[in-house]
Amino acid sequence: MKTIQKITKASLYLFLAAALMVGCKKDDDSPKPSSSTPPANEEELITTVKITFVDTAGVEPTVTVFFRDPDGDGGNAPTQFDTIRLAANTVYNASLEVFDESKNPVENITTEIAQEADEHIFCFTPTNVNLSIIRTDSDGTYEIGLASQWTTGIASVGTTQVILKHQPGVKDGTCAPGDTDVELNFVTEIQ
Amino acid sequence: MKGLLLLILLSIISQSVVFTQTPSCEFTLSGIVVDEHDQQALSFSTIYIVELEKGYVSDMNGVFVVPNLCKQNYTLVIGHIGCEPDTQQVLIAQHTKKTFYLEHHIEELKEFAIIENEIKPLSSVVKKELSPEELSKTRGRTLGESMKELTGVTTLTTGNSISKPVIHGMHSDRILILNNGIRQEGQQWGSEHAPEIDPFIANKLSVVKGAQSVRYGANAIGGVVLVEPADLPDSSGINGEINAIGYSNGQQGVGSAMLEGKSEKLLGIAWRVQGSLKKSGNIHTPNYFLKNTGVEEQNFSWTLGLNKEKYGVELFYSQFNSIIGIFSGAHIGNLTDLQTAFAAEEPLEKADFTYDIERPYQKIEHELFKVKSYVATGKVGKLELVYARQFNLRNEFDKHQPRGRDNDPSLPDLKFGLTTHTGDLIWEHNRIKKFKGSIGVSGFYQGNTTEGRNFIPNFIKYSSGIFWIENWTSNNYKLQVEGGVRYDKIYQKAYVWEKDELTEPDFNYENFSGTIGSVYKLTDKVTLGYNFGSAWRPPGINELFSDGVHHGAAAVEIGDRTLSPEKAYNNLFSVEYSAEKLLIQVEGYYNHIADYIYLAPELPPTLTIRGAFPTFRYKQTTATFKGVDTKVNYHFHKNITYTGKVSLIRAFDETADEWLYGIPSDRFENSINFHVDSLKSLKDLFVGVSLQHVLEQTRYEANSDFVPPPKGYELLSLQAGLEIPLYKTKKQTVPLIIGMQINNLLNITYRDYLNKFRYYSDEMGRNFILQLKTTF
Repeated sequence: MKTIQKITKASLYLFLAAALMVGCKKDDDSPKPSSSTPPANEEELITTVKITFVDTAGVEPTVTVFFRDPDGDGGNAPTQFDTIRLAANTVYNASLEVFDESKNPVENITTEIAQEADEHIFCFTPTNVNLSIIRTDSDGTYEIGLASQWTTGIASVGTTQVILKHQPGVKDGTCAPGDTDVELNFVTEIQ
Repeated sequence: MKGLLLLILLSIISQSVVFTQTPSCEFTLSGIVVDEHDQQALSFSTIYIVELEKGYVSDMNGVFVVPNLCKQNYTLVIGHIGCEPDTQQVLIAQHTKKTFYLEHHIEELKEFAIIENEIKPLSSVVKKELSPEELSKTRGRTLGESMKELTGVTTLTTGNSISKPVIHGMHSDRILILNNGIRQEGQQWGSEHAPEIDPFIANKLSVVKGAQSVRYGANAIGGVVLVEPADLPDSSGINGEINAIGYSNGQQGVGSAMLEGKSEKLLGIAWRVQGSLKKSGNIHTPNYFLKNTGVEEQNFSWTLGLNKEKYGVELFYSQFNSIIGIFSGAHIGNLTDLQTAFAAEEPLEKADFTYDIERPYQKIEHELFKVKSYVATGKVGKLELVYARQFNLRNEFDKHQPRGRDNDPSLPDLKFGLTTHTGDLIWEHNRIKKFKGSIGVSGFYQGNTTEGRNFIPNFIKYSSGIFWIENWTSNNYKLQVEGGVRYDKIYQKAYVWEKDELTEPDFNYENFSGTIGSVYKLTDKVTLGYNFGSAWRPPGINELFSDGVHHGAAAVEIGDRTLSPEKAYNNLFSVEYSAEKLLIQVEGYYNHIADYIYLAPELPPTLTIRGAFPTFRYKQTTATFKGVDTKVNYHFHKNITYTGKVSLIRAFDETADEWLYGIPSDRFENSINFHVDSLKSLKDLFVGVSLQHVLEQTRYEANSDFVPPPKGYELLSLQAGLEIPLYKTKKQTVPLIIGMQINNLLNITYRDYLNKFRYYSDEMGRNFILQLKTTF
């Protein structure tokens, strides 16, 4: 009888101890950061869009415009949002680049977009301005838009909307599907 | 700390194993029978022992002696002229002395039992509980969806799988969920963060409406949800319950099993193990599948308890694990995407049925470990100590793996780890003169860590509180008055990276809360109640610190570190008419909230590389919530019952003279139930039909939303059920309880104002549900 009681007692202690162990999953790291440098933001931001316009005839000067919001969405306001000023009746080759300037060194995301060309498309929509834009590059099936041709008409002022869509698995050559990565309305002057 | 705890526990338990064992029937039970209220001895009381079929009578002084008892459980029926007989289970393991308390009246509110859930609401507040039928009907649903059966409770949903209870128009940080007596601590500030609780743990789901900080501490502004498991078995043997539930929509299957028992060989320790599994695939609206809306859930819990008259200890552990697919069509990059999604007839991303869950999804884990112990402090009361530790891990996976992270797809894009320790020490005193009450202190520590996308900072939070509550009952038990006060102090410190510098802003909040209330039994049938309660809550971490685009909301939200705590003052009136055939309950409330924290639209919109986003800043105002909840039950035929429910809310920003955003619209529900107690060997047969009518929310401000609230809708549903004997053993009949439901019978297409995905998709279509349950 005594032995049985002892065994019962011992097994009860064991069960209790085991039960407590299960309940003691390790606390996560301390909330107070131990390092003196901020955690690296592994996520890639698009902070900067750069468009370079080169006159195909080689007459007009090359034009470069930027949109810059180095700290990303929210926080500080964008630091640079240029007006696109192009010469009238001219054909420009435009090349588009995007960067992450929140990183040091600055990351060029253009290369990745080129690598994943079948998941990306740029769309250009001029409004109230004598301008026509066509994409001149391709991922093999659909156009991309990193390279484009901008043909200006007579002098006018309006806006040009530049959209970058991320369309993994759903790219169909239009701007409808997917999520918007970039959507900027550049003020556009044709002089 | 944990080692110490273990030691204390073991020493408590080892005390119980030292008694000597006597095999023969030679124990005596002796004691006294007294009046519960004035402690007067009750002479010539009767003590009847069911097992022995023998009765004894106490002497002039209420003293009795029952000799020759064996080591076993006895059922005693104690009686006295003018008292309700009291039935009690008494375990005889040695010579035992006991005091029995009898009550000299019929209409008494439930008294504290020896073993009792630690936190009990006041009598004058409105507590509504799901009836056993309602509860069994909700089996398989999420906690939020289950609570919806109660008038005045709605849900805030994000698609079909994430739902949060809304009490009197308030949710998230403004309500409190007590899981097995412990404040549920998860990332509840987010509307897409559902409570991490397996409803199968509970055999009782109830809601306490109104501001109740005195009893429950900070945050109980709109109300409190109580998730309570059954008491552990108090007699030997093994019992169990098995549930299997199938849903046609989503081809969802839910299974749960529970086994419990008590063994005298193991020193009278009672135990319970319980677990549940859930799997669902893509949900179907009347016209299309919703891509990536599957859910997986695995939960389990165990309880061990030793409950003696003078002391007791209970251990509880539960684990909740779920993976929730987030509807892909609701992922948007900017406001234009949102407008496109809203304008589209069908979501642009099509899908067929699958159980597979892809990005975006949430992976959530929550565990709770709790130790509760109590000791009787003489005849006057008992002292209870509860400690709990919770750990909540939330991983969110965005739709697209961030470009920079292609090499490790298993990494979440956002990860929260929240660890919470809570402790409560409460002394409850039995009735002294006409007073009964409790005094307690509580302590709380919480630490949060965040990784990934920068959204809210790491923080720590300490809080402590002290309260005192008393209840006074008149001699004829017609009037009860109760009141209480509480003082809380909260300290919070955040760790914020600002321009590569770590700053540590800290916050101190303190507040007094109070409550006073009364219940008056006007006649046999009519009861009146009034309660005034105050409550408060400190600003949430998101309200202090958020700064950026809220994913999925297509809006920039800006926090404010100078926000002061919200303070609510709630008046609650209730009238109940309860006759044989008719039950009418009417509750009216008026909740005045000072420094109500809300998101106010701000101009100009924030310009980002993805376009301009509407901008909202957390601000404070004076708000009022008023409304009425009504429920009518009419048994107009012995087999037929009509039930009607109405709930109306008006929430107003008094300073700006505007309606508050996101308040449930008026809703009405009518149902008819045909019920037969038994038919040959079948039991509890019923067929019911109910019609829910939800009006369009017309009380909103033009600039508060991207699109106007959706139209109202009417949902028809059918329920039926019966209990059949499955097989008979010598001891009992094992039943099979079958329930059937068809929700959204007419397969109507609708959207709900309180579903965050109302911009992107319709609600679920018709759903056939089959529920099987057996108990043994």
